Amino acid sequence: MNIVEAKKLTKVYNGKIRAVDELDLEIKEGQIFGFLGPNGAGKTTTLRMLATLIPIDSGEATVAGQDVRRHPANVRRHIGYVGQFGGADGLATGREDLMLQGQLNGMNSQDVKKRIEELIDVLDLRDFADRKCSTYSGGQRRRLEVALGIMHRPEVLFLDEPTTGLDPQNRANLWVQIRKLRDTGTTIFLTTHYLEEADALSDELAIMDHGKVVAQGTSRELKQQIAGDSVLFSFKNDRVNIIKTMQLFKKQPYIREAAIEGEHVRLYVKDGAEALPELLRLLDKENIAVKTMALSEPTLDDVFLRKTGRSLRDTVANGKGNGESK
Amino acid sequence: MKVLRDFILLFKREFIHALRMPTWLAVGISTPLLYLALYTPLLQKLAGGPGFPSSNVLDVFLPGMLGYLAFMSGSTEGYGTIFTLKDGQIERLRVTPASRYALLLSPILSDVAWMWIFISILVAVAIPFGFHAHITGLLVSLVLLALLVVVTGAFSVTVALLTKEIATFASIVSGISLPVLLLSGVLLPLSMAPTWMRIIAHFNPLYYVVNADRILSAGTIWNSTVGLAFLVTGGLVLATLLWATRVYKKAVA
Repeated sequence: MNIVEAKKLTKVYNGKIRAVDELDLEIKEGQIFGFLGPNGAGKTTTLRMLATLIPIDSGEATVAGQDVRRHPANVRRHIGYVGQFGGADGLATGREDLMLQGQLNGMNSQDVKKRIEELIDVLDLRDFADRKCSTYSGGQRRRLEVALGIMHRPEVLFLDEPTTGLDPQNRANLWVQIRKLRDTGTTIFLTTHYLEEADALSDELAIMDHGKVVAQGTSRELKQQIAGDSVLFSFKNDRVNIIKTMQLFKKQPYIREAAIEGEHVRLYVKDGAEALPELLRLLDKENIAVKTMALSEPTLDDVFLRKTGRSLRDTVANGKGNGESK
Repeated sequence: MKVLRDFILLFKREFIHALRMPTWLAVGISTPLLYLALYTPLLQKLAGGPGFPSSNVLDVFLPGMLGYLAFMSGSTEGYGTIFTLKDGQIERLRVTPASRYALLLSPILSDVAWMWIFISILVAVAIPFGFHAHITGLLVSLVLLALLVVVTGAFSVTVALLTKEIATFASIVSGISLPVLLLSGVLLPLSMAPTWMRIIAHFNPLYYVVNADRILSAGTIWNSTVGLAFLVTGGLVLATLLWATRVYKKAVA
């Protein structure tokens, strides 16, 4: 069963900026669904529409079987949402904040107490649950915010850039918690612009750019769409050899693509491990001396590059576009 | 019932917030006290003269000060809105099934409650200095001032939701506040003002509230000025709340 479905979901800002452009989505129950894309791709806007925070301009969406446009109040009973800025109350203690969250979701006080104890254990909040939240470290605050999001045991949890700003250790911890949640049956829909995060965490993922999904599937499926593995060579007395080897490589049927990258030559082959001995034999025969050689499997960045012509790493590093904070 | 429960939960939270910001409380109560201590002495010679019929200037000055207090408690509410917008609290609460009205109104109602507390302190301080307190009149003016807080609070919150950042919000709200305050007679009654000023003042809702406040605190309740003030403020309560709920439903993103 699809727990989240969207058909031609659209959000237009200022009458012309198509932040989300006829987006189609189907998310199966009980998995971690990753939404990967650069800043300004429309990830947050999509999440906010599905979480009933901003109106849908056109198209349809259902979450947990409820129509988002017609029955937003029904949707809210089934979802949890942790935004980029979290929303923990700095003036309250973690426990007080969790209590409020539970009560606003209509839980009775006994259940609230029980659930808070559960969450304190699961998310390791014990040491600071009774301190004012403004004294928390970044990682502690994030854990409390996730706890707030799942206080009422929602079927779907939306996490918007959950690990942005966390150090590697806290990030790894949070990944563990998110997987645990999935294992207890919660569907998790998270956005990220970290390739590693999308790769490591998602059962299925969609890559988004300019308001559209450019690719969707499991990480393995997406990578298989790319022309196999890539092999990177550099040669002794390079210039002459590079031209020579390029001509040589182009004649080999098992090489799908060969490109010069500065001092290196990059080859795309279907199966790197199989092609490597073959390539070495070939170079040896022609007396071309190899300086270095590296075999790499495709990454999600290769997928993004193939689909959009840009590298996600560059886009993120340059911090281009900030349209999502609107 | 769910709505009432949400109101109580969120009101309690907002009310306690204020207790945890002692600086806010200190400034909130010290401002009107400072006016009483350092401004009323300047008026002493005016007692019994034009604009100050009573023998004690406090009888005219204090009710005006209460109008000022109410106006300010509401109109500064938007600062809080912007902070909670920035740290994600508004989004977080909006995703819960909590009543939208309770979410929007609870901080304003908490302002009303704190304003009532401040006014009680102010009146208690003023009585030993010769302020003539008429309990019924004061109670009715507490209701009128509460309505005023709802108007300025809903306005302030809505401007905050639309501007979304402190600098623009602050310049809009303080830009509007100053002329509204000056043209209302909160400090000195406008009966002393030239005709053109009094004509302009009639377009200022706060003018009606301050006038009514002075009449109420002199002990008169059934009075056309008081009635008019309730009518004007009541109408504005409806208008600002309608605007606020419309914006709250859409603009938060």
